[in-house]
Amino acid sequence: MTVRTTLAAATLLVLTGAAGQGGAQEPGAVYRAYVANESSDLVSLIRFDGREIVEEKAIEVGFHPADIEGAHGIAVSPSGEHWYVSIAHGQPYGQIWKMETGRDVFVDSALVGLFPATMALTPDGSGLFVVNFNLHGDPVPSTVSALFTPWMQETGQIETCVMPHGSRVSRDGSRHYSTCMMSDQLVEISVGKTNVSRRMVLTAGHEHVMAGPAGGASGMDMGGAGICKPTWVVVAPDDSRLYVPCNGRGEVLEIDAASLEVLRRFPTGRGPYNADVTPDGATLVVTLKGDRALAIFDLATGVEKRVPTSRPVTHGVVVTPDGRYALVTNEAVGATRGTVDAVDLVSARVVASAPLHYQPGGIGFWKMERR
Amino acid sequence: MHGMRPFAVAGLLAATLAHGLAAQLPTATPAHRAAGQRVTEIRFEVEELIVRRGETVSLTPTLVDASGNVVEGAMALLIARGGLTPQISAATGPAVELTGDVPGSVTLVALVVVEPGQSSAFGIPGVRQLASLPVRVLDYPAASIDIAEPQHTAYTGTSIQLHGTVLTDHGGEHATATIRWGSLDPSRAVVTEGGVLSGVAPGTVTVTASTENGVSVQRSVQVVANPVRSISITPSHAETRTGDVVAFDIVARDASGGAVDDIALDLSVSGLAGTGGFVFADGTFVAEEPGAYRVLAGSGGASAAAVVEVTARPEPTDVELLDHGVRAEVATSDLWVFEGADGEDYAYTGTHAQGGGERMFVWRVTDPSNVELVDSVVVDARVVNDVKVNEDASWAIITREGASTRRNGIVVLDLADPAHPSIMGELTDSLTGGIHNVWIMGDVVYAVNDGTSAMHIIDMSDPGSPKHAGRWEIRPGDTNKSLHDVWARDGYAYLSYWDDGLVILDVGAGTHGGTPLKPTFVSSIAYPEGNTHVAWRDRDYVFLGDEIGTADGMRGFIHVIDVSDVENPVQVAKYDLPEAGAHNIWVEDETLYIAYYQGGLRIVDVSGTLRGDLYRQGREIGFFRTSPGEGEGLQPNQAMAWGPQVFKGNVFVSDMLSGLWVVKHVKPRNIAF
Repeated sequence: MTVRTTLAAATLLVLTGAAGQGGAQEPGAVYRAYVANESSDLVSLIRFDGREIVEEKAIEVGFHPADIEGAHGIAVSPSGEHWYVSIAHGQPYGQIWKMETGRDVFVDSALVGLFPATMALTPDGSGLFVVNFNLHGDPVPSTVSALFTPWMQETGQIETCVMPHGSRVSRDGSRHYSTCMMSDQLVEISVGKTNVSRRMVLTAGHEHVMAGPAGGASGMDMGGAGICKPTWVVVAPDDSRLYVPCNGRGEVLEIDAASLEVLRRFPTGRGPYNADVTPDGATLVVTLKGDRALAIFDLATGVEKRVPTSRPVTHGVVVTPDGRYALVTNEAVGATRGTVDAVDLVSARVVASAPLHYQPGGIGFWKMERR
Repeated sequence: MHGMRPFAVAGLLAATLAHGLAAQLPTATPAHRAAGQRVTEIRFEVEELIVRRGETVSLTPTLVDASGNVVEGAMALLIARGGLTPQISAATGPAVELTGDVPGSVTLVALVVVEPGQSSAFGIPGVRQLASLPVRVLDYPAASIDIAEPQHTAYTGTSIQLHGTVLTDHGGEHATATIRWGSLDPSRAVVTEGGVLSGVAPGTVTVTASTENGVSVQRSVQVVANPVRSISITPSHAETRTGDVVAFDIVARDASGGAVDDIALDLSVSGLAGTGGFVFADGTFVAEEPGAYRVLAGSGGASAAAVVEVTARPEPTDVELLDHGVRAEVATSDLWVFEGADGEDYAYTGTHAQGGGERMFVWRVTDPSNVELVDSVVVDARVVNDVKVNEDASWAIITREGASTRRNGIVVLDLADPAHPSIMGELTDSLTGGIHNVWIMGDVVYAVNDGTSAMHIIDMSDPGSPKHAGRWEIRPGDTNKSLHDVWARDGYAYLSYWDDGLVILDVGAGTHGGTPLKPTFVSSIAYPEGNTHVAWRDRDYVFLGDEIGTADGMRGFIHVIDVSDVENPVQVAKYDLPEAGAHNIWVEDETLYIAYYQGGLRIVDVSGTLRGDLYRQGREIGFFRTSPGEGEGLQPNQAMAWGPQVFKGNVFVSDMLSGLWVVKHVKPRNIAF
């Protein structure tokens, strides 16, 4: 573990929390989510009622009126009171902004590492882990920042690997997972100890587990055979399994969370990127960045249904708490505005779509209400 | 489906670097929570906790109920936002140990762990806040004081400023300690508490310097009889204008007529018929307001005065609009104006994010009063921030940010047909993070890499196939830096390194061994405002703009840096328009053109010697508000000037909100005294 300041690293975690929700469908529900538009520095609050998606609000984020600061990742607190957005670009370090939901006003911010991207909160909402993607920099090991959210204070930076991406905390709040695009690893952090507890090499034919923090210092030859180039990790609702999209070789790995052994491999289209699992653990959804599509996997049978999305460069996905829909962001290209799609996971089709701004990517689900 | 269930406290960790320990603190049990329900108050034995850096103290929270009885078995959480280690402690016993870490004042908050769902504090469910305690963390003890050598001899009847540094017992400069100065013999020298020594009588005097905690040092200072018997002061000009610097030839002489050089003369200025005159320590004078000023030089019993009469500078002259190339659907960024291979004049403008920054527009501007949009180039980007054309106008570079593939870098354009440029090459490897700015110097391009904060050096000898030729950066390996722009001329490159200020490199000047491909460091200068954004050298001045975004819009101003001694740059003046923020600049014919965001185009006379605040001196000689009408821009009646360029006697200005403007400015006629 590396700590940037001379302060002690201390993280308060998990006082109370909620387990994964969902299972029963709520066809009459109204869903709201936040979407980060990376090249507009706007966060969209979207509303989906089963028929249409409406952007209710576009919230300006960032402090510089004239430059693009790169709103990238979104996370909503378990209580639903706050949302967090990573402001990636920085000069040089990026920030995490804490905002109040509903009123969507600024609450606080914290400086973190280089190009902060994906975030995850502990079940009680007091701890936030953000991967410092360092997307633009040299291929050197980067870190995961741990923040104490009540005061938006970074309590430590945990060195993991080259270009960490994806950030999820287990439902029991004990483990944090991220992946390393350029080190070809899955990294497990002990939330209680805020250090790396295990690493798993994901290169095909060379999968193995390394205990402890060592082994992440160098990048890989990303042109080598069998490279996974992982971009995400999602945890099954019962914490038993992990799903890791291998962006580099077009498959998703199902990994046993206890042993870190590969259980199954699901071939996908080009560029699997982000993923989510339905609350009942039965369905896995994966965005296919290179195929302009969402892949829906029945985890019992492994059968995939593929749903073309409304615009190219399909990026983020979040499943509604009732397991009925996946909300999917599509970045698009250049001056074409991106979109958010609602995909019906039963019929496997896009049932609503709405244009947002430039390069919508990160998406965080806020709340589901009955109409 | 998983229902709601409470979590136990899973972990509370404190890792103390000072001790190399990482101790797992106790988790909150149901018994802790049940006991915590009864707690109504947390008391401390002190009203303020004072702890020295590196020192560990015990703090005992007492948890009591509504009747004032101590509640046993409850858990308190103590949280300090900085200053202390650990930042978070759990107290279930009599005391917690806290170590001072960073000097300053913090607040320690005390919470009690209660039943889930019963309360929350700071967004944490299952806790209740019951107390807070102010904490002062003192630095390591002051251990010594270093007194600097005075810059002048302490003559009787003169005053000199003493300087010293308080060091801690760990060797570094103390964070808060101040020096109280004194004299052991006021009959020879009086020393104020702030360290101003005034010589009274010849002889040796002991000067004391002490701190609050009793560290004290002494130093002998020789007070010398003031030899000055006469002073002469001669202004370079007795009549001048506001903003024009007058130098004085000031000579102090002793009884034998010899010059006394190491004396601190008293310099002052009084306005006889005006205010706003300044005299600097080097004996130069400048006025912001017209009037008559009396400049006085004195020492001991001798003094001399000179009168300078100051008139107002000429009023700014009109700036005439020649044409406006409207871009109302997309934000405009940088520009470059040049004469193309076909003999026609062109302006290329980039595009920014609002509206989709994927284009470079081509304008024919041969007739500057009739600019004509003739083409555009589209690339995979969301910001084309910079546009530069090489010297013989055979190729150009546009920069990319926000590419859908995240492979940004630079795109090279073939200008064989400058009205319809075509893409002839690109370079993205190692430049994927985005290129914000470039500068072309012959066959070399210096590129500002957003990701590495380094200046990447690109060999353009084959422009269709640009190649990496090296890179230069401050503090290699340290990620805490941000490079924003680079500009080069006459063998030096000037890097705008944000909070690290201006960095000057030898790229072939022949002074410090640098070459275009292997630059060498020459010097740097930073200033408190930081955000150093753009640089341009003219004569011995570098004009530096800082770019500061605020809730009230853009701010930042132009710093004027004297680089006559290139190894020791020093700020001598500024141009600070109060209501707007500086952006890109151009200097030509001793005139500074500033795209001042909301302030539009500002034209400033920077001739002669520069000192003080050029804005207040009335050096602005022209102003044009690049403000579009309804339908003529992204926002009507709002200027957001981005970049200026002087070309064939006209000024071209790109404005983020409205496109390309062409204006004509006729300078005010100079008045010779």
